[in-house]
Amino acid sequence: MLQKKVCMLGTFAVGKTSLVRRFVESIYSDEYHTTIGVKIDKKVIRANEREVTLVLWDIYGRDDFQSLQMDYLRGMSGYLLVADGTRRQTVEEAVSIFHQVEKVFAKVPFIFLLNKADLKDEWEVGADTAKQIGERDWTIMHSSAKTGQAVEEAFEELGRKMLS
Amino acid sequence: MAAPSIGKNGSEDSSEGPNDRQIFEELRNILLGREKKEIAALRNRLENPASRTADVSAVVAEAIELRRDRGGQRELNKALTPSVEEALSESVRKDPSVLAGALFPVMGPAIRKSITESIRAMLESFNEALDHSFSLEGIRWRIESIRTGKPFAEIVLLHGLLFRVEQVFLIHKATGLVLGHCVAPRVAIQDPALVSGMLSAIQSYVRDSFQSPKEDSLDSLHVGDLEVWIEEGPQAILAAVIRGHAPASYRETLKKTIEEIHRNFGLALERFDGDSTALALADQQLSQCLESHSLPKSVTRRKPYVLILTIAAVVLFGIWVAIGLRNQIRWNRFAEALQSQPGIVVTSVEKEGGRRVVRGLRDLLASDTVSMLRSAQIDPAQVRFQWTPFYALDDEIVRRRAIETLHPEPGVTLSVRDGTLTAAGSASTDLMRRLMYQAALIPGVRKVDTSQLEEREGPEVVRLEAALRSALFTFPVGSPTPTPGEEAKFDRAAEQIKLLLAKEELPGSKLAIEVVGHTDNSGSESSNRPLSQDRSEYVTRRLIENGVAPDTLEPRGAGTSEPVEEGNSEMARRLNRSVTFSVVRSKSLLSK
Repeated sequence: MLQKKVCMLGTFAVGKTSLVRRFVESIYSDEYHTTIGVKIDKKVIRANEREVTLVLWDIYGRDDFQSLQMDYLRGMSGYLLVADGTRRQTVEEAVSIFHQVEKVFAKVPFIFLLNKADLKDEWEVGADTAKQIGERDWTIMHSSAKTGQAVEEAFEELGRKMLS
Repeated sequence: MAAPSIGKNGSEDSSEGPNDRQIFEELRNILLGREKKEIAALRNRLENPASRTADVSAVVAEAIELRRDRGGQRELNKALTPSVEEALSESVRKDPSVLAGALFPVMGPAIRKSITESIRAMLESFNEALDHSFSLEGIRWRIESIRTGKPFAEIVLLHGLLFRVEQVFLIHKATGLVLGHCVAPRVAIQDPALVSGMLSAIQSYVRDSFQSPKEDSLDSLHVGDLEVWIEEGPQAILAAVIRGHAPASYRETLKKTIEEIHRNFGLALERFDGDSTALALADQQLSQCLESHSLPKSVTRRKPYVLILTIAAVVLFGIWVAIGLRNQIRWNRFAEALQSQPGIVVTSVEKEGGRRVVRGLRDLLASDTVSMLRSAQIDPAQVRFQWTPFYALDDEIVRRRAIETLHPEPGVTLSVRDGTLTAAGSASTDLMRRLMYQAALIPGVRKVDTSQLEEREGPEVVRLEAALRSALFTFPVGSPTPTPGEEAKFDRAAEQIKLLLAKEELPGSKLAIEVVGHTDNSGSESSNRPLSQDRSEYVTRRLIENGVAPDTLEPRGAGTSEPVEEGNSEMARRLNRSVTFSVVRSKSLLSK
């Protein structure tokens, strides 16, 4: 059996939890977020012809990510970095999180999800997000918890990245 | 060294010039060139620390080995110990985890052993302490301990520690991913991958929230009767989900298992990248942690002290039976003796409150039953007598009664046979009279036989009778009144008669004193007899005046028919003009 620890990172109310809710196996309620700051879910995907169990550590997004509990990230093989397309600030915060994580864990595969793709009209970031945030080699996907857009693909893409 | 000596030779040929010197130098090079190079190389080796280090390094291991083989172990230890100690402490200072990781597989067992010893000692003292506890439960458990042959402490633990290990998780420490999972039959479970992740998260959460040091870890969780015991190794965590209360020794099982897993799968754990195929075998060790304990059903093994107790009980029982038997035999003998005892009639023997109660009739003169008990070796406290008094007619009792009533003096024996009291020996007049008047009234005496009895007078009576018999009152010729001076003798005679009568004083006594009057042979018989009668009556009267009961005196005139002194002399005539006494005792009653 192949398992990978995957973290979901992003600041408060970017829709991390809603994003995966329909796509994962879960036994814990959302309350865990506010109590111990993390909630564990599971997602089984196929990547590189293999079945991979992703154990998702959905980490409670706080406004101030400075206090991110790095201990929760220990041993992760990859992560989903989520931001809210309608709030540019969340994108900047995501970049900040990225830098913090990179400092401690060096090169860990990740996917940057710009969420709330169903509200693209209200987006504060354009199609040229990568240019805007100044990071060229990021894998950026536009997702929607409402429509389920790009969620499965994001997991599979991350799986491929982790196994390569 | 060769060069100077050659130089020296050279100086002897100093006349040869510079060319020769050159040739000599060349020759020297040809002859000693190789040696020179070797010397230079050797010098280099000796002087260059790098090459010297390389040289020593090539042989250092062998050298140490050689030294040890040659018996230099002690010196070696002495030389190396400070460095090794220094190195170890340095290592700990730099990074304790390296040494801790290396020692982990050996330290666990060592510590465990030491702790086991301490716990064993503690349990022993615990057992001892409980020895003195007499709670109802304590006594119940103690009985169970004796019955099952298990140590008391174990029984106590068993009652408190019923448990079942439902699940065991092996979790990768760094990632929180599940490496192995075992579950007991019929236990509902959640996805182990999620549970493992959450357990790791909780570990991190606790550490983070309460700022405990990194190396500290959560080692148990409690929810109701459910407990999660967590045992951490360097790479992996073992978590056991336990329902009930597991004994502390189960912690040892977990420790042993995590150590074993690290020993067997150390490399696989270190290189773990999410693929747990290499750790599939660890499941076997995990399944060993699935324990459950229920109440013991039966134990066949018996401790020797149970046997000893049993033997002791049998011996005690035997002694008890023997004592009981002996007591019964003693009692039977006593009861038999009691029944045959004269003056005792046993009507019932009952047991009341552990004591025997004997009821019946008992003559007051029968043998003392309490001293009979004592001589039969029976505790008098164990028996109570309830006697109703009665007059027994047993010959022996009648005899005792006769003795008690008659007080026979020594020399007189009394015996009773079929109601006839027989007295034998020499009896006083007193006893004779008691026999006569009292013996027949004794209950049980129907007849008194005194034919074998001789009367033995008392000395006082004999003296009094003798005195009375020799008493004599003289009278002048022809006078019915005594010679002057005789009057004084009446008083004494009356006293003697009264004493004698008192000795013989019995109702209906036939003792009588004859007062006999005499005359001398002068004159006619027809005048002498009335004179003698007058004389006797005069004395009788005088005696009565002196207090003698009249009916005991019998005056009689004998005339000349019973002379005091025979003959015709003046002396004889004087003695015959007199009154004398004679004691008359009727024996008619005695002979009956």
